[in-house]
Amino acid sequence: MEHMGIEKGRLHYSWISSAESTKFVEVVKEVTDAAKAAGPNTNFVKRYMKEAE
Amino acid sequence: MSGNIDRIKEIARGLLETEKVDVVIGFKKGTLPVMSEPTIIRKASDTETLIWDATCRLNLCNYLTGRKDRIGIIAKGCDARNIVGHIVENKIKRDQLVIIGVPCTGMADKKALSDLVGGEVTAYAEAGDQITVKGPAGEKTVSRSEVLQSNCRSCIKRNPVIFDEMAGEPVEELVLENRFADVEKIEAMDAGAKWGYFEELLSGCTRCYACKNACPLCYCPTCFVDESRPQWVGKGTDPIDIRTYHFLRAFHCAGRCTDCGACEAACPMDIKMRAFTRKGVKDCVEKYGWETGMKEGVRPPLDTFKTDDPEAFIR
Amino acid sequence: MTLIRIAKASWDGGLEKARKAYELIGPVPEKDSHKYAVLAEGQLPDMGFKNTKLSPKWVVFPQSEAMFTYTLDGTKENHHILQEVPAAPGARAVIGIRPYDAKAIQLTKMNFDNKDYKDPFWLRNYERCTFVGLAINAPSATDFSTSCGTGPFAEEGLDVLLVDAGEVYIAKVLTEKGKKFLDAAGFGEDAGADAAKTVEDLKAKAEAAITSKVSYNKIQGKTIMDLYDAPFWKDVLFGCINCGTCTYACPTCWCFDIQDEVKGTDGVRVRNWDSCMTALFTHHASGHNPREHEWERTRQRFMHKLKYFLDKYDAGLMCVGCGRCVEQCPANIDIRTVCNTMNAFEPGK
Repeated sequence: MEHMGIEKGRLHYSWISSAESTKFVEVVKEVTDAAKAAGPNTNFVKRYMKEAE
Repeated sequence: MSGNIDRIKEIARGLLETEKVDVVIGFKKGTLPVMSEPTIIRKASDTETLIWDATCRLNLCNYLTGRKDRIGIIAKGCDARNIVGHIVENKIKRDQLVIIGVPCTGMADKKALSDLVGGEVTAYAEAGDQITVKGPAGEKTVSRSEVLQSNCRSCIKRNPVIFDEMAGEPVEELVLENRFADVEKIEAMDAGAKWGYFEELLSGCTRCYACKNACPLCYCPTCFVDESRPQWVGKGTDPIDIRTYHFLRAFHCAGRCTDCGACEAACPMDIKMRAFTRKGVKDCVEKYGWETGMKEGVRPPLDTFKTDDPEAFIR
Repeated sequence: MTLIRIAKASWDGGLEKARKAYELIGPVPEKDSHKYAVLAEGQLPDMGFKNTKLSPKWVVFPQSEAMFTYTLDGTKENHHILQEVPAAPGARAVIGIRPYDAKAIQLTKMNFDNKDYKDPFWLRNYERCTFVGLAINAPSATDFSTSCGTGPFAEEGLDVLLVDAGEVYIAKVLTEKGKKFLDAAGFGEDAGADAAKTVEDLKAKAEAAITSKVSYNKIQGKTIMDLYDAPFWKDVLFGCINCGTCTYACPTCWCFDIQDEVKGTDGVRVRNWDSCMTALFTHHASGHNPREHEWERTRQRFMHKLKYFLDKYDAGLMCVGCGRCVEQCPANIDIRTVCNTMNAFEPGK
């Protein structure tokens, strides 16, 4: 995805067991923080919708 | 390379006469000088129409999917690698096939040929390693290596890896200095530049899907672009829909693509969409030591797992 | 017939004048080829172009065209009611359209503008247009327009025909609309006594240069089912990969698909070019697809252009011989071969 021009930090992979609640909370926090930091990805908004706004 | 044609015809004729196969899939002369047309031969006498030259760009493995009959198929290096993939992925059975291998010295790029003569090519001929074309700027003769498709310049296997008959002497494999220089150039860009690079690359794409339809890998009964319940991707000309299509196609090809170049050869708009799939080829070589279709019976890397698979990207 | 002389030196200036009254569309370079595009301020058409990959049919029939907008948000005005997208205002001049492409628009007009049905979106696009054609002095080897009821100097569907005569364009004024455009551009100089002969000579030379032909004189005499069930289809179409290259490049392909583009409660109803090459084209809601196999879809395309259209309208082929599909087909499926095969086919033999 990065190769195609999607910024680092928009895509996350993790492997969390159902027993790892602490890790789950940590990862969710990290992912949402990273998404907020990256801001809205307007590249994926369609033309018609951009025109409407 | 066209010297192999007599041998190809002889083998094809023999296979049909002895009823070892029901059909032979090959190429016949096209109606345009720089084109050939994939053809299916059912009668031994029709093998005379077969040709073999640097216009046989399409990947004939594409015509095997789901066939139930016994098939003789003419295969250059990349076609043969895709046939291996097809067998691994159960799209055809090995014992249905008689593979007529043809060592390949590369296919001629249509655009390079027309550039040579400044427009429409009106005549095309091959003699040994020489290609002669005629057009508005007169007649030009070049060696084949000067007009190769870009995938043929970075080819890793010109001699078929799998075959039952071989129609020609093996050719020397290429010695490649830096096989992925093109991919590295893109890798060095920042995210914005990459986005821009692919935006420019895809401008002009009409979503005709010639790239996926020419691709032997794209055999899904219903492609995600045609999925309507629910719909996955918009069908209009919105740039993000066009890009989504190319993104997803590239992912589907990762670890399965032989870089045969049929997609680019098929594109009517001259879009170089191998810029997407080449990244998958490179990653599979670097991360999994994987080259597609080189060995029968081995499943592609994204289709299997090993305990030592790289997983640094997983948190 | 009025012939007007336009010195090439005054061409650019004339277009700039015309631009005050018209939005201009013309051939412009794109990557290694040309395309028809709306000309931006100061941009001029490249009249030296050979052929474009796509025809200018998008001028009347865009690849994606917004027809309606709507909202399901009950707090907004006119919610739950389709609102027609207003027509774009003003006149347009399509500069450098080729005679076969103009003919193609006339063929598609039979579909979009007839006594049973008038397509408002197509018509409002069409009526804005003045078609300023450019004759083809040097046809390509794949041009077979003369056997399709048109030709390099054909006039049908054009308002003006420009003929490139070296230092000058000789403009044949064909309609009132055409005259209006030339007036707006300030082109009005009489072309003189020799002009008609110059045009005739160039025309004869161009027509003689076309050696590629199709025959369809025997197609209407055969039944639909004879051709439909003919044994040659599977083999003739074997190489076809069912991409949409031919349908998109074709100036006469008119099929479309209607889609809603939605975000939240707001949406746009769009029509997009469709292609009979795709499996989805005839996929029924029940799940059944009457054209299940690839070759059946390709057969449909050729039967439509070369048989059904002939039978329905008795106006020749639904093909103008521009040669784009021949040039661009990745598998070299050649409509000329298919047409001649259909014509020569003798049922029962």
